[in-house]
Amino acid sequence: MRVLMLTWEYPPFITGGLGVACYGLFKALAEKGIKIYMILPTREKGFFQIFSPLEADYPTAKKLNKKQIESIPLSFYEFHYLEPKGAYSPAFLTSITKKWELPKLKTKILYRVPNEVLKRISHLLSQNNSLISKVSTYTENVIELSKYLKFDLIHAHDWLTYPAGLFLKKLYKAPLVTHIHATEFDRALSFGHPVIHEIEYLGLNFSDRVIAVSRYTSNLIKEHYKVAEEKIRVVYNAFLPPLKPPQKLKKFKEPVILFLGRLTIQKGPEIFLEFAKKLIRGYGKKVRFLIAGAGEMERYLMLEAASLGIGTKIMFTGFLTRAEVETALSMSDIVVMPSVSEPFGIVALEAMSYGCALIVSKQSGVSEVIKFAYKVDFWDINKMVNIVINLLNNPQKLEEIQEKAKAEVQKFRWSQKSEEIINVYKELISH
Amino acid sequence: MLYIIFYFQVHQPFRINKYKVFDIKNSVAYFDEDLNRHIFNKVSERCYLLTNKLFKELIEISDGRFKISFSITGTFIEQAKKYRPDIYKSFLDLVQTGGVELLNETYYHSLSSIFDLDEFLEQVAKHAEIIKKEFGFTPHVFRNTELIYFDKLSDVLLNLPHIKTILIEGADKILKGESPLYPRISYNHVHLLLLKHYKLSDDIAFRFSDRSWEKYPLTAEKYVSWIKNLTLTEKEGKNLYLNLFVDYETFGEHQWKESGIFEFIKKVIELLLNEKNISFLLPSEVISTLNYKPKTVSVPEPTSWADTERDLSAWLSNSLQWNAMKTCYELLKLAKEKEKKDLIPILKTLTTSDLFYYMCIKYFQDGDVHKYFSPYSSPEEIYRYYMNILSDIEENLEE
Repeated sequence: MRVLMLTWEYPPFITGGLGVACYGLFKALAEKGIKIYMILPTREKGFFQIFSPLEADYPTAKKLNKKQIESIPLSFYEFHYLEPKGAYSPAFLTSITKKWELPKLKTKILYRVPNEVLKRISHLLSQNNSLISKVSTYTENVIELSKYLKFDLIHAHDWLTYPAGLFLKKLYKAPLVTHIHATEFDRALSFGHPVIHEIEYLGLNFSDRVIAVSRYTSNLIKEHYKVAEEKIRVVYNAFLPPLKPPQKLKKFKEPVILFLGRLTIQKGPEIFLEFAKKLIRGYGKKVRFLIAGAGEMERYLMLEAASLGIGTKIMFTGFLTRAEVETALSMSDIVVMPSVSEPFGIVALEAMSYGCALIVSKQSGVSEVIKFAYKVDFWDINKMVNIVINLLNNPQKLEEIQEKAKAEVQKFRWSQKSEEIINVYKELISH
Repeated sequence: MLYIIFYFQVHQPFRINKYKVFDIKNSVAYFDEDLNRHIFNKVSERCYLLTNKLFKELIEISDGRFKISFSITGTFIEQAKKYRPDIYKSFLDLVQTGGVELLNETYYHSLSSIFDLDEFLEQVAKHAEIIKKEFGFTPHVFRNTELIYFDKLSDVLLNLPHIKTILIEGADKILKGESPLYPRISYNHVHLLLLKHYKLSDDIAFRFSDRSWEKYPLTAEKYVSWIKNLTLTEKEGKNLYLNLFVDYETFGEHQWKESGIFEFIKKVIELLLNEKNISFLLPSEVISTLNYKPKTVSVPEPTSWADTERDLSAWLSNSLQWNAMKTCYELLKLAKEKEKKDLIPILKTLTTSDLFYYMCIKYFQDGDVHKYFSPYSSPEEIYRYYMNILSDIEENLEE
């Protein structure tokens, strides 16, 4: 089976969980014999071929004539969060949901993409906006490259690639799977950019199957985008065991509590800071907080943290490489993930694999599948503080939960997830 | 008589390394040796060599009628001896002409006068010591880091009886419309205060090659005529003192050689040497030439020569700067209590004001002066490195 993967991120070009998930999934699919072509938003017109697990680690970039592209590393278009412009209300969504009459689900027979949908998509992409124009360029590139590739199915990851997915589906009458790793609601914490909402709406509704990374996300798209329940499949993310077995690294005498993630409102770094303040007040003994990651909130968070005048207790790392992420995890005793809206949250699994006790918000998809972690509403800072103080005062209890987390996480493997994905493919391809 | 007092600030900080969280406990390479050497070499070629040569010639040709003063920081002397002994030697030669006065300041060019007065006195004493040792010179005139001055500083300097005169910024809020050409007496009647003429100083330091300035291009003749005009307002025969205080790196580094800055300053000095009613003076000579009793002035709030605010905001206007500086002085205090002899000099070096200047957000935009001077890409970046270094030291202190 040949699958054309459309994605905006792949290691080493990653800004968030999307690239990490794609890597884990593609590698596992390649192990199961799925042949993958991948198109990324590269400046050079080219595609990648992943026909073996090794090629997942070092995907070969090829030009239209299938010759290997020499200029490595390739340059990528960066993805930046698009600030919502203007005020949007639920009424806006109602207006799009009313505009399009959704096709009825017919098993085996694929959805048709009406010409009006593609016209609408072209119109949406013609907006004068730097990110959207990049999506437009990407879509054109994909259409051109696809002529040279043979594939049985299109698998598009997140809204940036949905327009390309819909065009290809129409052109080749091939089945389209849209994978939703994060919705605009998660990024904007409410209504976001109208163009992105509409692309998500059309992409999810006119594809043949939708893969959601959690129940949480599945409910979100059912509620807001009216996606038919019958075509949604929930496939949770897994995690990649690090190359070297995780080991603890004691850098500081005092316990280390980690926040790991982009410094954007979605991940709740401000909540973490508030938590840190309250913990310092309530605990009394020395603790060190590590805020790891980069993002548009860095200056604000730094100024806030520094204004407490507590010296080196709250530290910032800036942007981390993959290896540095692993070191940060190995330095930490407790990880707090107070995401306000998190479709999944692979970091949680990584934290557990490094034997960190985990406090994760209930508004995170990952909390649906893990057992040995503390699940708290993102706004319930007092509860987070009480849990952590309790753990710090009971080292035995802390160690116990760390061990249990480490053991539990071993069962979330990509090899199993890739089988679930292949089953979705099989629903759409008869042979 | 109009006296011209030239004072040049000679300073280089020890810039810190890109020290990551993960370097804690793994590395004690706190300072960026390569960067510091590179910058020292660059400024040596562009500024120190050429300017020292020019001023030495002018002193010799004028038979000592041309005079200048320098404040040379301890961190500069350390770097000169380490990276460019030839530069160290050329300053030594310049001082030996007799036409140079050396001022006293904090060894580390720090803001210790704001944070820790005991440390401040230690740093001033340490600086006096190195000036004595390296140049055989005992200073009698004090200038605080970036001309920071406030009333209490004069009280604190009572601990150092060799200090008679202090250089300060001729800030509008001190002068309140009066002229900076008349020295003042500190509010406690102890120190003579010489006030920087910021307009004529900044014409050289900042505006000389600014093409958008309405007075551009600045010729020596034009500049000297402005100086001569200063005497017109004084009708009672009182001696006037024009204090031209600039960073030494103005010559060749901030104002490039190609701008004509060297020809300009040479011509200005030559023209002034021909004026009967104008002569050059060293800061310590002001007291003996005064033909009137100066007014006292009170400066309750700290003033400085930095930015348009001329206050402490270049180093202490945001919480990053404040937390970093506060933590450094706290650790320094702790290191002294615990007699950690190896950590004390490192922490003292970390008190250097430039490191906090780089953390300034208010003017950190493209083309702004803070960004121009900073080797780091953002205030956040240096804050991270700085706090990581302090964390490592903190861990070592607790052992």
